[in-house]
Amino acid sequence: MLKRERPKERFGYDPQKVLRKLEELGREILKEVRQGKNPYFDIPTRGLNNVYFDEVKRVIRMGDKLSRRYFLNVAHARKFMQTLLIAAYVKRLVSEGKHASLREAYYANKHTIPGTKENTFEDQSESDPIIEDLERMLGVLREEMHLTADRRGYVYGDITIRDGEDEFNTSKLGMGGWAVPGTVEHIQFVDINVDYALVVETAAMADRLIEEKFPKKERALIIATQGQASRGVRRLIHRLHYEEGLPIIVFTDGDPYGWYIYSTIKQGSINLAYLSEKLATPEAKFVGMTMDDIKKYGLENVTEKLKGIPPNKKGGPTGDYKRIIEEMNYPWFKNKEWQRQLKLALEWGVRIEQQALANKSLEFVAKKYLPEKIANEELLP
Amino acid sequence: MAKAKELFKEFKIQSVSEFFRRNAAMLGYTGKIRSLTTVVHEAVTNSLDACEEAGILPYVRVEIEELGREHYKIIVEDNGPGIPEKFITHVFGKMLAGTKAHRNIQSRGQQGIGISGAVMFAQITSGKATRVITSTGGDEIIEAWVKIDVEKNEGKIVKKLKHPNPTGWRGTRIELEVKNVKYVRSKQGVFWYLKLTAIANPHAHIELIEPDGKLIVFPRSSEEIPKPPVEMKPHPKGVMTDDIYRMAKKTRKNTVKRFLISEFSRISDKKIDELIKYIAAIRLINREEDKRIKDQLFERLAKGEVDLILKSYGRRAKKVLKEVQKLMEKPPEKLSWHEAEEIVEAFKYMKFLAPPTHGLRPIGEENIVKGLTGILKPEFVTAVTRSPKVYRGGIPFQVEVGLAYGGELESTFNLLRYANRVPLLFDAGACVTTMAARSIDWKRYKVEDLDRAPLTLLINVISVHVPYTSTGKQSIANEDEIYEEIRLAIMEAARRLQTYLSGKHRRLYQVKRKKTLQKYVPEIARALSILTGEPEEKIKEYFLRLIEKKFENVEETLEQAVEVEADAEA
Repeated sequence: MLKRERPKERFGYDPQKVLRKLEELGREILKEVRQGKNPYFDIPTRGLNNVYFDEVKRVIRMGDKLSRRYFLNVAHARKFMQTLLIAAYVKRLVSEGKHASLREAYYANKHTIPGTKENTFEDQSESDPIIEDLERMLGVLREEMHLTADRRGYVYGDITIRDGEDEFNTSKLGMGGWAVPGTVEHIQFVDINVDYALVVETAAMADRLIEEKFPKKERALIIATQGQASRGVRRLIHRLHYEEGLPIIVFTDGDPYGWYIYSTIKQGSINLAYLSEKLATPEAKFVGMTMDDIKKYGLENVTEKLKGIPPNKKGGPTGDYKRIIEEMNYPWFKNKEWQRQLKLALEWGVRIEQQALANKSLEFVAKKYLPEKIANEELLP
Repeated sequence: MAKAKELFKEFKIQSVSEFFRRNAAMLGYTGKIRSLTTVVHEAVTNSLDACEEAGILPYVRVEIEELGREHYKIIVEDNGPGIPEKFITHVFGKMLAGTKAHRNIQSRGQQGIGISGAVMFAQITSGKATRVITSTGGDEIIEAWVKIDVEKNEGKIVKKLKHPNPTGWRGTRIELEVKNVKYVRSKQGVFWYLKLTAIANPHAHIELIEPDGKLIVFPRSSEEIPKPPVEMKPHPKGVMTDDIYRMAKKTRKNTVKRFLISEFSRISDKKIDELIKYIAAIRLINREEDKRIKDQLFERLAKGEVDLILKSYGRRAKKVLKEVQKLMEKPPEKLSWHEAEEIVEAFKYMKFLAPPTHGLRPIGEENIVKGLTGILKPEFVTAVTRSPKVYRGGIPFQVEVGLAYGGELESTFNLLRYANRVPLLFDAGACVTTMAARSIDWKRYKVEDLDRAPLTLLINVISVHVPYTSTGKQSIANEDEIYEEIRLAIMEAARRLQTYLSGKHRRLYQVKRKKTLQKYVPEIARALSILTGEPEEKIKEYFLRLIEKKFENVEETLEQAVEVEADAEA
């Protein structure tokens, strides 16, 4: 039986650390310029060519390639200025204990540069990457800088959370549970009465499980990601696992997108590779949907065809086929079980949704499918 | 017979003047705008030529007065040497008379019909005599009204007054009244013509008073009077039978040999011996009946095997050589057309030194630069004067090009064409200068769109014999050698423009960079102040000092680069 484990990490958010890092950044720049040197920032490079898979920690991590952003370079100067603007803004936010959304951060810092027709920021697409740059440079989460994204995903189960002045149990907020905010850095877990967390891809499935009282019966915490898991949700999963010792089980559709959601929760993503250590949960396991489920539960009639051209056909592989082949090449899917699943998907050319289980009966998933699989630990690594 | 008599009843001998009266177009009197320009051109040209020959810095003033519809009075006044009384009728009244006719000399006017043509034009359009006021700087000023007796080709003074000259005024002022003309400020008009003239003659001060009373001054930008052109003897490769025939009739030398040596360049006693051999060889070869053999022999002659050919004819050759020698000793006026033909033919096979070029008088790079700068006020100007070359085997010519860019120039390409410093205003399309200028790949020289570039190109073709495409003398024929020289000159000037432009772009780019960096400083200072607690003003100072330091060095190296470029051009 799955049981809550011993915590591995301690709650680590410290606003003073963020402020110190920001001030240090400012002082370095000032020192350079005072000495008549061309000040610069070193920013870890984005993108595929600066990430690697850490076999020991089993997460996607960022390489050590840096790009240097100089003030005295006309091509860099604008971004140099923008970086400092955001850094100063963050300092104010953190020291005042306030949070701002990415959009608010954009508007707060957007103004016309005196004596020109140029704006400090023309578009949010200019400020968002600067915030990411700061995260990389400082090794500090956006959430720790009090910059939040829109909330997405929700939590339902017998856990008590303290968020600012409020304290609440997420199974007592109605069927909708507790919406995960953009940043979960500041929340604290007061009491946890569940054995594991079940991360569910679709809201429809999460709702179904809540209605069937699955959380209560199985002592599970339901976390609905609503598609690709937001940073808030990923961070919450990470914290629940490492700070509270909750085992993590992921329940997605049986298709390349679902498997990718799992991959991101487990190993992190290329985009946010620099945050993997704070966002990824390599110990997470996968409950379904798998290709084996189709046979085992007789779901052949409710599969869907994969989209795109199969690899053995002219012009292929494209669409779902192409993505499956890409996923087969992920180092963390290079194990017997996953290779078999993915190969089956390719062979059969089918995908299966979580909701397909409703074909059996509405209660099937909550009463039979999940409890059986989890109890028997029929989980994929 | 009776019929012929009837016919010849109406037959009259037409005088030269009469001919030109009927064919005014040949002298440039076509169209209302062009006719006016031509009148001004003839008068101004005379003034400039006269001043140059007399070593005077020209001061020319043109005044156009509107008297009625398409009816103007044109006044041209100069500070030239003046005209002695007895020459007034010659200068203004007689066609084909002048100081330069029939001399192999580079000049603005050539046939000596210019100003008399203008007098004629005034006379046939308005019926009025031309008023001439002139003094050579002596005690008296002469005021004369000149008309042309068309039938006799003679000038006559219809009225004459003499005035005292207490201030010692010297110069010439002529007033012509013309009808059927129009003053328009177009590219074929007087304004444009004078502007072009001023550019090519920076030593001249030129003024124009337009019909509405507006005064336009093209000031002098050089104090250097161009040296008057030197007469050049024709080169044997450049002459035609008619030239030899005609010149032989007029020469003072008493033998053909002496005539050839003294009146052509590059002909010496030794060359005459050679010429004799060639003429003899040509005569002998021409007697051959077999065309194939004939062609073969001419081929060998072209290779210079004249001695071998003569040897192969043995005694016959000796006889012919003697005959030709005799021809060389006979009086030139007795030279027959056929003999002149033989000489020209022999010249074709012979080798001569390239013609002398001392008679060519380019404007000169320095003066072109002065002219373009003074009148157009560009930001960049350069000039290229190529060394003389020959076309058609023996006619020396020289090309010069001036290039002005930016500054007060409008953003449009202008080609200023000149032949012997005379602006060409018409038939631009047919002119070799236009073709050459258009054939250049301007993009290679950083001129992206020629027709929208603030660029003015001056091209002056100098020769004792400019190959005009027609009697209008407004466009230069496309001779390969001239075309190539123009292209080479333009490309050299364009290369300098390219250097300048890339330097300029570099400089502008630096200024822009500096400004870009500076504008961010206040923002950066405020942010850094929040991050570090340091006062904003101080941070600003640090950053501004950093920027200054960076561009200080850059500016120095740039100035050095520009200086090096200037040195290279000097």
